[in-house]
Amino acid sequence: MTGRIKILVVDDELIVRESLVGWLKKSGHEVSGAEGGRRALEMLGEREFDLIFLDIKMPDMDGLEVLHEIKANYPESMVVMITAYGSVQTAVEAMKSGANDYLMKPFEPENLALLVEKLLQQKKILDENLLLREHVATRVRCEDLVGVSPCMQQLFDLIEEVAAVDSPVVLRGETGTGKELVARAIHSRSGRSYSPFIPINCGAFPETLLESELFGHESGAFTGAVRARKGRLEMAHGGTLFLDEIGEIPLKMQVDLLRVLEEKTFHRVGGTKEISVDFRLICATHRDLPKEIERGVFRRDFYYRLNVIEIEVPPLRLRKEDIPVLAQHFLERSRRETNKPIMGIQSPAMELLARYEWPGNVRELQNAVERAVVLAKGRHLTRDDFAFLLRTGGRTVPQSLKENEKQHIDHILKQCGWNISKAAGVLEVSRITLHNKIKKYGLTPPVP
Amino acid sequence: MKKGIPRTLPPLGLIEMGRLGEVAVRVVAANLQGVLGIPVDLLQPMDIPTESFQEHRKQHDAGLILKHLASRSFPNHLGVLALTTVDLCSPILTYVYGEAEVGGTTAVVSSHRLRSNEDGSIVSLGRYYERLAKVSLHEVAHILSMFHCEKDDCLMHYCSKTHHLDRLGIAFCRRCEYVLKKNLALRCS
Repeated sequence: MTGRIKILVVDDELIVRESLVGWLKKSGHEVSGAEGGRRALEMLGEREFDLIFLDIKMPDMDGLEVLHEIKANYPESMVVMITAYGSVQTAVEAMKSGANDYLMKPFEPENLALLVEKLLQQKKILDENLLLREHVATRVRCEDLVGVSPCMQQLFDLIEEVAAVDSPVVLRGETGTGKELVARAIHSRSGRSYSPFIPINCGAFPETLLESELFGHESGAFTGAVRARKGRLEMAHGGTLFLDEIGEIPLKMQVDLLRVLEEKTFHRVGGTKEISVDFRLICATHRDLPKEIERGVFRRDFYYRLNVIEIEVPPLRLRKEDIPVLAQHFLERSRRETNKPIMGIQSPAMELLARYEWPGNVRELQNAVERAVVLAKGRHLTRDDFAFLLRTGGRTVPQSLKENEKQHIDHILKQCGWNISKAAGVLEVSRITLHNKIKKYGLTPPVP
Repeated sequence: MKKGIPRTLPPLGLIEMGRLGEVAVRVVAANLQGVLGIPVDLLQPMDIPTESFQEHRKQHDAGLILKHLASRSFPNHLGVLALTTVDLCSPILTYVYGEAEVGGTTAVVSSHRLRSNEDGSIVSLGRYYERLAKVSLHEVAHILSMFHCEKDDCLMHYCSKTHHLDRLGIAFCRRCEYVLKKNLALRCS
């Protein structure tokens, strides 16, 4: 509930409506009136109201019917039913249907003042709860930003520095490197941390949908736009807007966004009202934007407006010392989530993880550990639990000759059911040589 | 409060509507001048408009009295405040001590419920005049575009009971005082 409280008074009696609107306005609230239920629902489709005073008896639409519509479509709005003397039974029914309270006309001044104060306090607590939940979630997710490597230590320092200023940031890095985590970390350490962090993947929407998703729309703006909807720009007011895959934004929308960044105002799709916004912008891309400018698919002016601070998020293959820490971190999380008593990762398995190239970066490592935990039979994750990494189509795992030999012998022994003579025949080596190799590589037959 | 208020401010008209008594009117005028720093003109007394009487409630509709006042012309005044003895109500409230439109030009204050407490006990004249002055200052401040204030000792705090009124000082909180000064300066420009 940031800014002024928005209240709607719904009553067919003009004198009652005007009187209540006037009284509420004296407390500095933004108050509107509606002469009937249908008009009230129309207005609710156009904008949000924190509190609604709703008359029970109205000629065009019964107050209870309007209440049901409100509770079904706008549950975040609080409703006080207004009833005439003698219709308390209906008011009780309204309370059972979800009304927050009721008042009998004419109201005792003290009752009205206390009720409004109580409901606005409730609304404030609910809104604060929402923000806190968002904040806590943000902090938890930031824990995933793990690293002991020098390049990650540099990144952490950079995050602290960047969080203190309000300039736009462009995060560059390969897919899965954790650009969104970096954005969340910047937000959670900034002065905007108690306001929302609103992410949107620009590459996940077709052009028309992206426009409505970013800017919101008014009811009737296009087929299917039954009610007005806030866009991500509006939702991010006071907080941080994270535009992932910024390189996928069409040229026309780049102009629209540039205008928002410069003027801090915009219009919803199909709307005429100018909406003011204040947010910090963080963008991310895996593309080389200067090259995209040369190709004519990214605007130079938009790029310069965004690219005040650029942060490179390193790929996992360039910070291999982080792999054991990250693997352990993901193991602990998966263990908690699956409730499986996995104690740790065996050294050969960790060696495999450290040697793998991780084209999908941290995200791929996280998925690999989660998969291994789910399928693991023992109390430690073994090299076999990560065997799927060796079979990843088209991706070769760089291995030493020794490693290849060990794997090949193991594979043939398994194929031959650990019949040494048969396996030695296939491998075209003597039985003694095979025995030596088995001993050297510590290969053991599967437990029956 | 007087400090910083421009001298070019037009006066506020004060009208006795019903027999309130000279002392009460002068106390209100003095407080308006003293606390708000605005000049006050005592205008000709006026009859209580008959159209404001609500037969079923045996009270006068404060909004209709404001309409009645607004139908008269007071071109040389910042606004007018009517002081009346009749019990006031509004279409939604069982009673009001006073009424004014935020940023409007008319206000009305009733003495009817201020002479006694809710339990019926009569209060001293001094307490009664103090209450009358507080409600008058509150309503005139609404004319000057002031909203209600959350601070429970500020004159702009909403009071629905006499003991709430008694808790207030005859002063605005620092924030309201600042806004009031700005609003008065705007009225002069």
